[in-house]
Amino acid sequence: MHIPDAFIPLDQAIVYWIIVIPFIALSIRWARQEMDDMKIPLLAALAAGIFAIQAMNIPVGMGTSGHMVGAVLAAIILGSPWAGVLLLTLVLFVQALGFADGGVTTLGANILNMGLISGFVGYYTFIGLKKIKLSMPIAAFGGAWLGLFISSIACLLEMTLAGTFPLVPGLIAMGTYHAIIGVIGEGAITAVAVSAIAQARPDLLSQFSDEAVTT
Amino acid sequence: MTENKSNDLKTILLAGLAVAILLSVLAPFLASSNPDGLESAAEDVIDEHTFAEMEENEPIIGALMPDYAIAGFGKAGEVGAIFIGSIFMLGLGLGVGKLFEKKI
Repeated sequence: MHIPDAFIPLDQAIVYWIIVIPFIALSIRWARQEMDDMKIPLLAALAAGIFAIQAMNIPVGMGTSGHMVGAVLAAIILGSPWAGVLLLTLVLFVQALGFADGGVTTLGANILNMGLISGFVGYYTFIGLKKIKLSMPIAAFGGAWLGLFISSIACLLEMTLAGTFPLVPGLIAMGTYHAIIGVIGEGAITAVAVSAIAQARPDLLSQFSDEAVTT
Repeated sequence: MTENKSNDLKTILLAGLAVAILLSVLAPFLASSNPDGLESAAEDVIDEHTFAEMEENEPIIGALMPDYAIAGFGKAGEVGAIFIGSIFMLGLGLGVGKLFEKKI
């Protein structure tokens, strides 16, 4: 879902930068309040892991592939959607400047979609699903799927405003592809990773235990 | 830092490193080369001529290793590019974390 430079005119690309910069600043404020001996290595491991997994494009049929975004997983593991904003900002910068994956002018839009929208929608969906007593993997799956899907719709709306995509055909194409990518690439991997962490290091996810979220 | 916490730090960093190495070795061979969701949607909804022009546009700033490859090194270059990127991200994450470490 990395938007290349050519897909959004420069003036609009700047608007997305202006929107996203205060949120990047808030994610730094979160880091200043949270970074400790435990969360620093988690942030580093997630930065490397998200970068690497985004290189793994999974075929989803119809001649299309997709990869995990990872903001929801990062938000769940670090206990805040701001973690997703900070990590995706770092990952997207390195991808754009180092690997020509996503444009440089469109970084603001890409951070908005994949960091902010995907992370916040996914994290709070996860919390909501936990509150109605769904299991950890199911809540993680639901949050990750919806986070990816809604961010793809945001991306489509940006494409439409840019005059790059027509609204209805764009909505059908983006929605269809990302509904599937969300199941395989985002939902399933997030659910498996969260289950594995719940087994190996339940302390990391203790704030999401059934007792913690319903009280 | 207690011994326990220092062990934690190493274990978590090593886990991140292990995932990064595994994915950088596997991705060039297993990852699908099909276009991603956004590119596929673009192919569906943009007319061929305009799409071809957009594809030809060079990025505004040239990247060091475009498309996760090192020119002339084939699959080994792809493994290398993802590996170098992952290690860089591990260092960047650690650096950013340390920079913003909360003062007690």
